Amino acid sequence: MNIDIIIIGCIAVLSALYALFNIFGFVGLSFGIFLILAYSILLKLKPKKQTEKTFFQNVRFKIPLIAILGAIIWVVAGKLNFPVWWQIEFVSFAMVGFAFFTLLDWKNLSVEKKSSTWIRRLIATYALASGIFITVTAQLPQFDPEFELAKLNKPPVKLSGLAGPEVIAAGREVFENNKCFNCHKVFWEGNSDRGPNLGTKQIGLYSDEYIKEQILDPRKKQAPGFEDPKSVKAMPTYYADDIEGDEMTALIAYLKTMRDPTHMPVEGKFPNQWTWWDDPEIIKEGQTVFEGTNPNTEGLNCAVCHGKDGIPMMTGALDFRNENHKDTDKMPDHIDDLLKDWPDALWYRRVTRGVDGSPMAPWGTIFPHLYLWKAEAYARTFHDPLDKRTAKRPVPPVPTKEEVEKWKTDGLFLDPLL
Amino acid sequence: MSSDSTKIPFLKSILCLIVVYLLGHVSPLLPVSFNPLLSNLSLETLAFAEEDDEDEDEEDDEEEGEEGEEGEEGEEGEEGEEGEEEDLSYLTDIGPAAEHEFEEFSFLGLSNRKFTWAAAQLHILFASFILGCPMFVVIMEVMGARRTQGVRKAIILSNVFLGVLIGVVIGITGEIIIGIHHGVLYGMWACAFGALFVSFLNYFHRLMGLRGSALVGAITGTALAIPLTPVEHYETSGIILAIVNGAVGGLLSNGIMFAKSDYKFERLSHEITKVIGICYSFTALSGGLFLLIMLVAYKDFITYLISSFPMLFSVAYPALFILETIVMYIYVYSWDPLNKANKKGRHIVTGVILNILGLSLLVALDGPATFMQTPPKPLDEIVNISEWAKITNAGWMPLNYHRLVGNGTFGGYMVCIIGAYMYLWSDKKEEREYYDWVGYIGNLIGVAIMIPLPAMGYIFVREIYQYDATIGMYIMSDRESMFMLVQGLLVGTMFSASNIYMWVSMKRIENAERFFPAMKFGFILIVIAATIWFTPRRFFATMLPEPGMNPDMVLPDNLAFLALMVSKNTAAFCLVTVTFINYIFYTIATKTGKVAYGKINPIGPYVLIFLGFADIWLMSWMGTIRELSRMNWHIYKVFKDVTPEKFAPSLAESGFHVTTIVWTFFILMTAIIWLGIKYPKTKKKEIESPAAAPQMAE
Repeated sequence: MNIDIIIIGCIAVLSALYALFNIFGFVGLSFGIFLILAYSILLKLKPKKQTEKTFFQNVRFKIPLIAILGAIIWVVAGKLNFPVWWQIEFVSFAMVGFAFFTLLDWKNLSVEKKSSTWIRRLIATYALASGIFITVTAQLPQFDPEFELAKLNKPPVKLSGLAGPEVIAAGREVFENNKCFNCHKVFWEGNSDRGPNLGTKQIGLYSDEYIKEQILDPRKKQAPGFEDPKSVKAMPTYYADDIEGDEMTALIAYLKTMRDPTHMPVEGKFPNQWTWWDDPEIIKEGQTVFEGTNPNTEGLNCAVCHGKDGIPMMTGALDFRNENHKDTDKMPDHIDDLLKDWPDALWYRRVTRGVDGSPMAPWGTIFPHLYLWKAEAYARTFHDPLDKRTAKRPVPPVPTKEEVEKWKTDGLFLDPLL
Repeated sequence: MSSDSTKIPFLKSILCLIVVYLLGHVSPLLPVSFNPLLSNLSLETLAFAEEDDEDEDEEDDEEEGEEGEEGEEGEEGEEGEEGEEEDLSYLTDIGPAAEHEFEEFSFLGLSNRKFTWAAAQLHILFASFILGCPMFVVIMEVMGARRTQGVRKAIILSNVFLGVLIGVVIGITGEIIIGIHHGVLYGMWACAFGALFVSFLNYFHRLMGLRGSALVGAITGTALAIPLTPVEHYETSGIILAIVNGAVGGLLSNGIMFAKSDYKFERLSHEITKVIGICYSFTALSGGLFLLIMLVAYKDFITYLISSFPMLFSVAYPALFILETIVMYIYVYSWDPLNKANKKGRHIVTGVILNILGLSLLVALDGPATFMQTPPKPLDEIVNISEWAKITNAGWMPLNYHRLVGNGTFGGYMVCIIGAYMYLWSDKKEEREYYDWVGYIGNLIGVAIMIPLPAMGYIFVREIYQYDATIGMYIMSDRESMFMLVQGLLVGTMFSASNIYMWVSMKRIENAERFFPAMKFGFILIVIAATIWFTPRRFFATMLPEPGMNPDMVLPDNLAFLALMVSKNTAAFCLVTVTFINYIFYTIATKTGKVAYGKINPIGPYVLIFLGFADIWLMSWMGTIRELSRMNWHIYKVFKDVTPEKFAPSLAESGFHVTTIVWTFFILMTAIIWLGIKYPKTKKKEIESPAAAPQMAE
């Protein structure tokens, strides 16, 4: 019989460890082993004789212990950058633990001699249960149903007669109503990094057709860094049925606003992200733009002035090979940084707006900015070759709400709708 | 005298329930925005939707087409002339079911939704009782029956039935945790056939040992499960699952066939059956009430739904219902006569048939219930597909599994409540010992079945996500996210209460102290797991902060993993594991030490009542979440809800309403338990009935 128990126990333990490993990897496995060890040790302990404790005896060690523990939890959670509400939550649960253990060590209740005793206790039980559930549901954060009602009563998107900003606003609603924020952040806004942050990725740089295809047929081309099996299946495929006509037009108009004039686009799944500066695929395509062979930028050839191999072909053209080259002094927004330290925003401005009094035209008014960023990523390789880099450029912090609004007020975009 | 003494506890119980009910409903803790019960009873109109338009509505009752337009004009008066030209058809456009006419409803100014909600919930609670309890009532009847030849024949059938249930549960758990394709089928076939073969052999007094039974069960179960499971490629994991299930089926069959009968089980199952009988009437009553309310409040929708399932509602459902009613009454009223006639085996067979009919009814009605949430795609073809295709929609099977297990848990905790009430209402030592044991058995059943319950919920939500992630997101990340947080808290509470009961119970078992240090460690893990389960990504109640919400209440990105499913799964796994370990300690303690029944710490029955209340509240809460997740659709993207109450009610309002429903259910159940068990006892004192005597051998 004992052998049976040992065999069954071993099989159960091994199965549990296998399941833990399968679900949670080595962390799960380690946790499982820790549990087994802890339980084995605790089961070997010689049990103390259970004695009835008075309330004071019950709590005299628990109160100071929980006070210290609560303080530790508060400080550690704060150090780990948990917002204050989570600190409160963790300490509250520590208090629940205190109540839990106080209850476990509570001395036996007296046996009910009179019916009034159990009636009182029964009332207390129901009151406690109802009180907990009513209080919890009443005190947790609430929403006002009127907001949802107002949304539901709004007419469907109809674009006829609407101007640009209104179309964008309607597109934002479509984005919200389809719960895109659940997986996609837009810069600072949104819930999770399940899908690309459409703001830092700058989905607005892409063509309408590309964006539409990504919505309707998301499996066709996976975003870089999201090739894992879970991510591949994450984007629903039913939007072709749900979003059509004016709604799709409005949605695309909104997505087209997702641009950042101060940073290179960012790819990859958080936290394993990179910028286009370090993306070999982008740099490769940027080379075709730079050298004038990209069909999407017909008529643009940076190499004509800057040289195919980086040796300037025209006087005054920026020599990308020289990392200590300074910014032009022909522009009022001139800065003193050397080429190697140029902020992304300067690269973008110089290429999209051009340089006054020079053949450097405002290419941003002619060609899609998507390709101009790519050309810049390539241009940098002249003084900072990709194969010589020891580290990737740091991913810039996600722009804040204020920063995003400032781009518009400062007129950093060429497009008046942005 | 005796009659008085029994009536008093009952009346007192009812009285105390009502007192607490009232206390709960004047709670000062509710926020100002919350609608108190009084406003629901004050014949006021709908809370959020119709306040301003009420007068216009009354005037325009007969001219529905103009009604909306005028209402809008009133609101947009300052906007100018455009109001007249505006197309407001979107407000009443119900989607692909557009040709179906819709009328505005009115119901004496009361909330139609809340009435429907309450009636539906009460109906489901009673239905769960009459579907959940018979599952283990039959098993308990078997455990309590003397092993006569007839009983042993019946055990073959009941073992197969049990094998199907257990096989499905193990199979689906394997399917989720290890990802075994068609794990349910492997599990069900292997366990059922393993049980069948071993039971047959056992019946002929072959294969007496447990090891041999496990081996034969594993071989026969696997041999039949493999060809019956339609997979393209056989995988090792599937075959291992079949072997495990076959072995479980064999072990169970052998264990049950040769178990020593315990009369306490016979008595317990008989008492619960009496309660089932009364609850059956309440199920029918509340079902009728629900239908009537639907006909008043949502006439168009219920007509559309019923007409979408003509065969089901005109033939299958009435047939199953009538058959189940007949079999149920046969089961209840033939108990004593068949015992006296030494035909216990026939009674057990009746019980198995009752369960099969009950489960058929459950899965049949899950069809329309899930059709409302996951109607088969493409939706443009919804009017052309067969009724069977509508029933077997994406959410159907997962909800069947979820309700099967959920009802079992519910039944277990109802047994706890019955045991606790009767313990409190009993004066005699023997009675107290017995009902203490009933509580122990109820908790054992409840905990055992609750362990796989999170997996069933997980598979249901996973299916919803796959069907349409928008629904899933509405539940997990949007307006129902705080509802799910409450669910996490409730699950933590239930697991905690179950473990506390085990702790309290073990204090009355000799030599059980050796497990206490390990159990206390388990309680620490429970608190940590509950904390993780409760931890949200953000402390505002919608996907994006709405006006009045604090947008800073969000976890930073690097800590967001705590709010993801992987963390929640870890927490659930931890809760289940600790409970399972404590359950093993509890079982070992009862096997190796003497249990002092009747001497449980008096807090025990109250913990059981708390546990039962939490379970029923949680069940009602999950039903609320499921219903609200359809958003403003009666049938998702097919039949739009264009009534004024198409929005999700606030968390506070929902919590209060659910508490009200659970209270109503508890008051009724208290009366039913008294009427079904306690009251007949007082009569028996006057006329000694031989019914309680064990049946004679055939």
